[in-house]
Amino acid sequence: MDMTLDFSILGRFVDAFALGLWTTIKLTLLCIVLGTTLGFVVGLLRSGTNTVIRAVLGFYVELFRGTPVLIQLFWIFFCLPLILGVELSNFVSATIALTLYMGAITSETFRASLRSVGREQLDACVALGLPRRAQVMNVIMPQAVLRAAPTLLSNAISLFKESALVSAVGMADLMFIGQNISNNTARPVEVLTAVAAIYFVIAFPLTRVVTLLEQKLLRKFSA
Amino acid sequence: MTSSANGSALIEIKDLHKGYGPNIQVLKGLNIEMMPGDRVVVIGPSGGGKSTLLRVVMGLEQIQGGEVRFGGKPYIRADGRKTIIDNDVRKQIGMVFQHYTLFPHLSIMENLILAPRKVHGESRASARERGAKILERFGLGNKADAYPSQLSGGQKQRVAIARALMLDPKLMLFDEVTSALDPELVAEVEQVILNLAGQGMPMMMVTHDMWFAKNVASRVIFCASGVVVEDGPPEQVLGNPREERTREFINRVFHIRA
Repeated sequence: MDMTLDFSILGRFVDAFALGLWTTIKLTLLCIVLGTTLGFVVGLLRSGTNTVIRAVLGFYVELFRGTPVLIQLFWIFFCLPLILGVELSNFVSATIALTLYMGAITSETFRASLRSVGREQLDACVALGLPRRAQVMNVIMPQAVLRAAPTLLSNAISLFKESALVSAVGMADLMFIGQNISNNTARPVEVLTAVAAIYFVIAFPLTRVVTLLEQKLLRKFSA
Repeated sequence: MTSSANGSALIEIKDLHKGYGPNIQVLKGLNIEMMPGDRVVVIGPSGGGKSTLLRVVMGLEQIQGGEVRFGGKPYIRADGRKTIIDNDVRKQIGMVFQHYTLFPHLSIMENLILAPRKVHGESRASARERGAKILERFGLGNKADAYPSQLSGGQKQRVAIARALMLDPKLMLFDEVTSALDPELVAEVEQVILNLAGQGMPMMMVTHDMWFAKNVASRVIFCASGVVVEDGPPEQVLGNPREERTREFINRVFHIRA
C-alpha cells in the first residue's frame, strides 16, 4: 500500500468542499435558530404551572435527550414518512430532527438559567412595585438569557459537529462530500484529515469565545 | 396605645401571625403601631421574626392571621388561607435588603430609573435627571454608567437606597443593610440612612449594630419568639430595659462588643 501522502490533490476539490461546507453551515444555522426558539418556548412552558403541558413537554425533552441523534435522524427520515404518508426530502427530515434535538437540549439550558435568577431578584422587583410584565421582561428574562448565553453557544457548536450525521441520510454536507471524494480518490488520509481540519478551524475559535463569555458573565453576576 | 382611634398612625400591625408550614411559627400575634415621625429599630435574637416582620410589611410574605394598616387604610390582611395585599399601598413603601439585590444586568442609572418608568410611567429623561441628582447627593455621581459588579459593597448598598428613594416612599424598610458589608464600608451606608432620618423619613429597620440603633432610632422594639417583648425610646430599651428578656439580650450584645 502506497502511504506517500499528497495533500496537493485537495486543490482539485476546493469547490466541492466549499459547497459541502455551505450546506453544513446553512443547515446548522437554520436548526440553531429554529431549535433555540423552540427550546426557549419549551423551557418557559416547562417552568409554568400547567401540569399537562409540563408532562407532555417533559416526555419530548427526555426522549430526545435520551436517544442517539443518529436514531432520531433515521427515524424521521425513514419512519415518519411511512406514518404520515408523505415524502420528506433529506433536507427537511434533517432540519426536523436537528431542530427537535436542539430544542430539547436548549430548553433545559433555559430552564436552568430561569431558575438561577434568584428569589432575591424577584423580591427586589416586588419591593419596587414593578408590574408582572416588567418583572419578567426587564429583570428575569434578560438575566436568564445572559446566563444561558455560554451554554447556548456550546449547544450550537455541538450541533455544528453533530450535523455531520446528516451525511448518513444522503445529504450533501461537508462530511458527505468528504466521504465521496475520499472513496473516489482512494485518499482517505488526506481528504478526511482536511474535513476534520475544516470542522476544527470553525469550532475551535467558537469554543474559545464560550470560555471568554463565561468569564465575563461570571464577573458580572458575582455582584 | 390609643392612637389607632384617632387614625394618625402610619403603620398599625395587629395580631400578626406568620408561619412557614404548620410547625414553624415565626410571628405569633405581633402588635406594633408606628407614628409618622417614628424611626423604629427592631432588635432581637436571630430567628425572632425581625426580618420576617419587615418582609410582611413590604408585602413579600403570606400571613396566616392579623392585619396591617397603612395611613389608617387596610393594607394587608389574612382572609382564610389567602393574603390580601393592596398594591397601591405597597407602592408607597420602599425596602433595602441585606444583599443589595441590584439588577446585575443593568447599569446603575438603569437600576434607578426602571421602577419610576414602569410603575409611574415617568419619562426616561425626567427619571434620569432625578437619578443623576440623587446619585450626586449620595457621592456616586460618577457611577451612573457603571454596573453593580464594578462597585464596592458600600456603594452598591447606597445605590439600593437611592433606587428605593426614586419612588418617593412614605416609609423605608432597611433589613440588616450593613450586615454583609466589610467593616470599613459600614459607616458610609449608615451615614446615608442617618441623613435620611435627619430629613424626617419614616423608617423601620432591623440591625445588629447597637451603636447605629442608638443614633438613628426614635423608638426601639425588642422582638423575640415572634412577639414584641419591649417597645420604647432607645434610652429605655437599649440603656435601661424594663423587661428581663430585653436586659439579658442587651447585656449579651454589649458584652460581646466591649
